[in-house]
Amino acid sequence: MSKIIEIKKLRKVYGDGVELVALDDVDLTIEEGEVLSIVGPSGSGKSTLLNMIGLLDTPSNGEIWLKGQNISKASSKERARLRNKELGFIFQYHHLLPEFSAVENVMMPLLIAGVEKKEARHRAITLLEEVGLGDQLNNKPNQLSGGQNQRVAVARALAGHPSIVIGDEPTGNLDSKSSDMIYELLRKLNREMNQTFILVTHDMDMAEKTDRILRLVDGKIVCEMLRDGDKFVTRDLCKLDK
Amino acid sequence: MLELFVAMKHIRTRKRQTVLAVGAVGLAVAIIIVFRSLMNGSFETFFDIFFELAPHVLVLPKEGEEYIYLYKTLIEFIWAIPGVAAVSPALSTTATLSFEDNVENVDMTGVVPAELNKVTSIGDKYMIEGDLYAIQSGRRVALGDKMIEKLEVQMGEDVVASFPDANTMNLVVAGVFRTGVEEWDQAAFVSLETAQEFLGDGDVITYINIQIEDPYQADEVAAEISALGYDAESWRTMFPQFEESLAFETFSNNLILVLVLLIASFGIANVMNMLVLEKTREVGMLMAMGTNQSQIRRIFLIESGILGLAGGIFGTAFGYLVSAYFNSLQYTVNAPTAPQPIVIKFLVDPFDLIAFSLLALILSMIAGVYPAHKASKLDPVVALRG
Ligand SMILES: Nc1ncnc2c1ncn2[C@@H]1O[C@H](COP(=O)(O)OP(=O)(O)O)[C@@H](O)[C@H]1O
Ligand SMILES: [Mg+2]
Repeated sequence: MSKIIEIKKLRKVYGDGVELVALDDVDLTIEEGEVLSIVGPSGSGKSTLLNMIGLLDTPSNGEIWLKGQNISKASSKERARLRNKELGFIFQYHHLLPEFSAVENVMMPLLIAGVEKKEARHRAITLLEEVGLGDQLNNKPNQLSGGQNQRVAVARALAGHPSIVIGDEPTGNLDSKSSDMIYELLRKLNREMNQTFILVTHDMDMAEKTDRILRLVDGKIVCEMLRDGDKFVTRDLCKLDK
Repeated sequence: MLELFVAMKHIRTRKRQTVLAVGAVGLAVAIIIVFRSLMNGSFETFFDIFFELAPHVLVLPKEGEEYIYLYKTLIEFIWAIPGVAAVSPALSTTATLSFEDNVENVDMTGVVPAELNKVTSIGDKYMIEGDLYAIQSGRRVALGDKMIEKLEVQMGEDVVASFPDANTMNLVVAGVFRTGVEEWDQAAFVSLETAQEFLGDGDVITYINIQIEDPYQADEVAAEISALGYDAESWRTMFPQFEESLAFETFSNNLILVLVLLIASFGIANVMNMLVLEKTREVGMLMAMGTNQSQIRRIFLIESGILGLAGGIFGTAFGYLVSAYFNSLQYTVNAPTAPQPIVIKFLVDPFDLIAFSLLALILSMIAGVYPAHKASKLDPVVALRG
């Protein structure tokens, strides 16, 4: 396995007057094809870390390497290009474009990449069928349930064949049945396409299904657990008092 | 194209805002088209009234000479100039007319009735009694109605024309005209031959009036005649104020009209601003999916451009129909001096339809620049938070 993401001494500080350290010298390496979960109390910096990896936000200090390219200082245009090519996002709220049908929403990352409408449509239909919405192609978000919309959002995140899929509490708004369904979907796709998944979650059941769990507290990774068969082994950096 | 796809989707699904923006611009453009058609119509009416009595080119004798001597050759020369529509030679003189106890001095002009009519319409439009063409046969005169009143003479009666050094003669009143212009209505017209006989200076004339198909060719025609040594002047040099006042009028009207359109573009700016505010989260998501800043900017620019162009096309079509309808009403106004009521015309210049559609497009795109810029500068993380 090769490293897809390497984070070195990543620091994010908010505010000019009262400084708030959201990420405090984080070091992290993520392997290609890994399914990683990040847990931790609210306000611990999980979203901030994801937004950095997702190229939505820029670090105050430190470096992020994506596939061997230092992207910490990339231009806005280059970051947009990389977001389109390498990344897929799933947020707690589906963020579907309300005027567009399910299939049009899924087509969107491909259209942004400049793919032909017809080809994009074809790919979007395949994905929607895979997430079980083959019969809802032309429905708009307000005609679908919360779980269905989130499945459309999953299909959209995967449309552009990204190498990394980022989920910031992707099942946070869903009941446990829908949550399981979304997770199983992601896992299946991971096995099929060897995509890397980074998921922030409050749901420990879900976290325990992933390959590695990071625990973030006050902007620091305080604990790391690795899957070993059916169990997790704790790495030595785990501070159990936290 | 992504930008067009998203922009069109907004336009089609946000019907209320679309109707509002297109309606505001459309109404402004329609108002402009109708006002400009009224302006064009008034100018044309003004032109018609003005040139009914005024020539496009006036030719006077060569410098230092009292008459145009070889006028027949000159007339042939003038007729050979392309675009010339009428050439009216005239021998003008003063005569004392008397009838019973009434004696009046008049401007008496010898003319060729058919040519005079082409230049002034006196032959048909302004004749109220008798016939201008009758002066062609022998000692006959056509008088303005003011002169008829002063002399207290009637159709068919004889007046005596005399003047020092001139040959006194009797003239039968063969026609009465009324133009509404004081000077003209006190004048007298006889045939060219009668006037030459009266003056006794031979086969000569004093000036030539020329009418041209396109009045704006007058300068060129005048220049060709001047080259022969005659004193030829176009209406543009004779009445420079005429065009100046038209230009001023056009400018001030257009200024008001462009302001109307500017106000309408504020409507678009407002709709676009609301759109950007409302779409903040979606812009954030578009950015997360990899839409770059220029693409975001283009989405909103294209959208306001389409709204403006739609308003422009709708407005010109609507304005054209309203103008055509008003024109068909043949609405008239009465001027105290005019012999006939003046018809208000609404003439749409096809160039306006294109020009104002494009202006609506351009102003709307300018109105969209700031909202589009604002959208493109959104921070995706903040935008996604809503
Ligand atoms: N744009 C911002 N401006 C200022 N403070 C922020 C901003 N974004 C996040 N923070 C702060 O940074 C800390 C980490 O936030 P976040 O990464 O959202 O935590 P989590 O996702 O773990 O709940 C919090 O204290 C939060 O208030
Ligand atoms: Mg968070």
